[in-house]
Amino acid sequence: MKLTQALKMAAKSISANKGRSALTMLGVIIGLAAVIILVSYAQGQNLAMRKYYESMGENTLDVYAYSWDGSVDVNEELYNYCQRISDYVAGVTPNGRAWGVSISYGVQTLGEGNSYGGGIMIGGGGIMIGGGGGNYVEPPTFYLGNDQFSVCNNYTLARGRDISYMDIERLNQVCVLGASVAQSLFGMIDPIGETVTVNGMPFTVIGLYAPKGNGVTEYNESGDNWQEVAMSRMDNIVVFPHTLTRILNENQSIDEYTVKARDSQSTRMAATLIKSFMEGVLGDNGYVDVYNQTVYQEEEDEANKLQQYFLGGIAAISLIVGGVGIMNIMLVTVTERTREIGIRKAIGAERKSIITQFLIEAAMICGIGGIIGILVGYLGTLIVGKLAFKIVLIPGAGITVGAFAISVALGLIFGLYPAAKASRLQPVEALRAD
Amino acid sequence: MLIDIKNIYKIYNEGLESEVRALDGVSLQIDRGEFVAIIGASGSGKSTLMNILGCLDIPSYGDYSLDGTDVTELTDRELARIRNREIGFIFQGYNLISALNAYENVELPLIYQGISILKREDLVMDALERVKMADRAKHRPAEMSGGQQQRVAIARAIAARPPIIMADEPTGALDSRTGRHVLEILHTLHEEEGTTIILITHDNSIAATAHRIVRISDGKIVADSKNGGDLQAEVAREGGAGS
Ligand SMILES: Nc1ncnc2c1ncn2[C@@H]1O[C@H](COP(=O)(O)OP(=O)(O)O)[C@@H](O)[C@H]1O
Ligand SMILES: [Mg+2]
Repeated sequence: MKLTQALKMAAKSISANKGRSALTMLGVIIGLAAVIILVSYAQGQNLAMRKYYESMGENTLDVYAYSWDGSVDVNEELYNYCQRISDYVAGVTPNGRAWGVSISYGVQTLGEGNSYGGGIMIGGGGIMIGGGGGNYVEPPTFYLGNDQFSVCNNYTLARGRDISYMDIERLNQVCVLGASVAQSLFGMIDPIGETVTVNGMPFTVIGLYAPKGNGVTEYNESGDNWQEVAMSRMDNIVVFPHTLTRILNENQSIDEYTVKARDSQSTRMAATLIKSFMEGVLGDNGYVDVYNQTVYQEEEDEANKLQQYFLGGIAAISLIVGGVGIMNIMLVTVTERTREIGIRKAIGAERKSIITQFLIEAAMICGIGGIIGILVGYLGTLIVGKLAFKIVLIPGAGITVGAFAISVALGLIFGLYPAAKASRLQPVEALRAD
Repeated sequence: MLIDIKNIYKIYNEGLESEVRALDGVSLQIDRGEFVAIIGASGSGKSTLMNILGCLDIPSYGDYSLDGTDVTELTDRELARIRNREIGFIFQGYNLISALNAYENVELPLIYQGISILKREDLVMDALERVKMADRAKHRPAEMSGGQQQRVAIARAIAARPPIIMADEPTGALDSRTGRHVLEILHTLHEEEGTTIILITHDNSIAATAHRIVRISDGKIVADSKNGGDLQAEVAREGGAGS
């Protein structure tokens, strides 16, 4: 029997048994689509984490250091030492927080007291933004940093200038705004050079950071993920020269610093060097600790990888479920098909002809089901990407090809096995099947 | 000698308590152009014998020579070729493929023979006309009566013009009128084409129309009209009494 005949015969068999063919295809479609969507979801999750780390600044160290009695100028010592080991370190900044601060421009006020409800500001005198409907507007975070704050925290200046050494030395009343703060206070107005009121004192806006996130500041039903929220919160900041702790934070000392290393290797080196240096400087008069965020990131990456394996496992299971579905429908029809094989053998079909026909039949069903499964998988991935990560998520070529190959192989194995078995029987034995 | 079997045994569950000797040392010779009826009680081993003669089954022991070829030595492929070209088999249960229509069912053995599509069309339509089913070519088995299905099955058996037709109770599931029509088709084939016909039946009136009658009982041939005796008349009498 020629191949074209086998092809025609398989096509005829598929179209003559529409219900059976459709059910088998469904098994392939479900298995394949599930694998593609699940694995793509895991990859999207990874992508979001990666983006988050990048926004947070890679290769950074958190340094906690203070002097019990104030006998050591921790900031000065750390700053100078970091200059000395600049082979490893790209920047260092105090990472202070000012609490109970409010900032206003015109009638708009952000900060202390604006957290809930649509009321009048306490001590600020202005009307809250977005307060009318009782919406929650998250107050900005007020940072106290130096000229390297943006480098250390991975901000880029969109407009204006950064805090300078002079601003720090002279206690200039200046500030740099995060993107969403600028938007809230100024709207369309250019904030550079404008005067804002901070805790009742006039401050000049000298710079504006480029946005990191998409402006998402809360979890909601539509499924914004926490990385997005965290990144958008990074835009909701105001940075002052750290020396202004005197007037903004009751002169509380700043104990937290961020160090930016040159690369991940330098991060480890810098952590060790800084810890031992500061221990030497502080002796019994203080305390120092260094946290290497890279380590956490690596741990996170590891956890993510685990999650990906986990999802891959689920995907494999769904593929197996799809395969079992295929196998099931094949086994359900195996009696009917065994009789058919018996008839075909009785009227002169060779074993080879029967195998070829069933092989082509299974390949056609799995091929068509596979293509539909890929389409469904891509569509599902696009939807999941949009809903979960707000990105255009497209399945990788590897997973697509791999899943297709596996599902077609499963279909072939489960489709062919009963046929191969039946074709080995004597015609009478196959005809007796019931 | 077309068919020559010697000392054929077919033993199920051999050596077990449930052992069944479906064929218990059968020897039989059939010449080209004979019309042989095989009769016997239900369970006597008729079908088992026919399946072995038709190369649909293999004996447990014994020799089978078909047209001078030792069948027991043949490969699966060579057996397929014999089933395809030498023997047309008609089953009691029709055994049509339900997903295919009458035309496609009859066409199947011709496809396996590698006959071109144009020649196939002639052969299929000719076979369907012989059994008066040409007008039902596009019907599926489920859309036909038992008699019509059996006629399609006969068309499938004769389409490739095999020299031997074997029929295992072809009229068993049919009413007597349809049964007689099926029998007529076989007789016509025998007379016009010289086809060798081997027919199993438990209907003595049908058996009586054959030129030779072989009776089988408990897996053994107990009588053969070829070896003299009065089997033909005896069967005709039994048939008359039975109906
Ligand atoms: N596959 C089988 N397994 C066991 N016994 C069988 C099998 N096929 C047939 N037999 C037995 O062989 C005997 C002959 O069966 P069969 O040739 O079908 O008889 P008939 O066609 O004359 O009615 C019966 O006793 C039957 O039960
Ligand atoms: Mg029988």
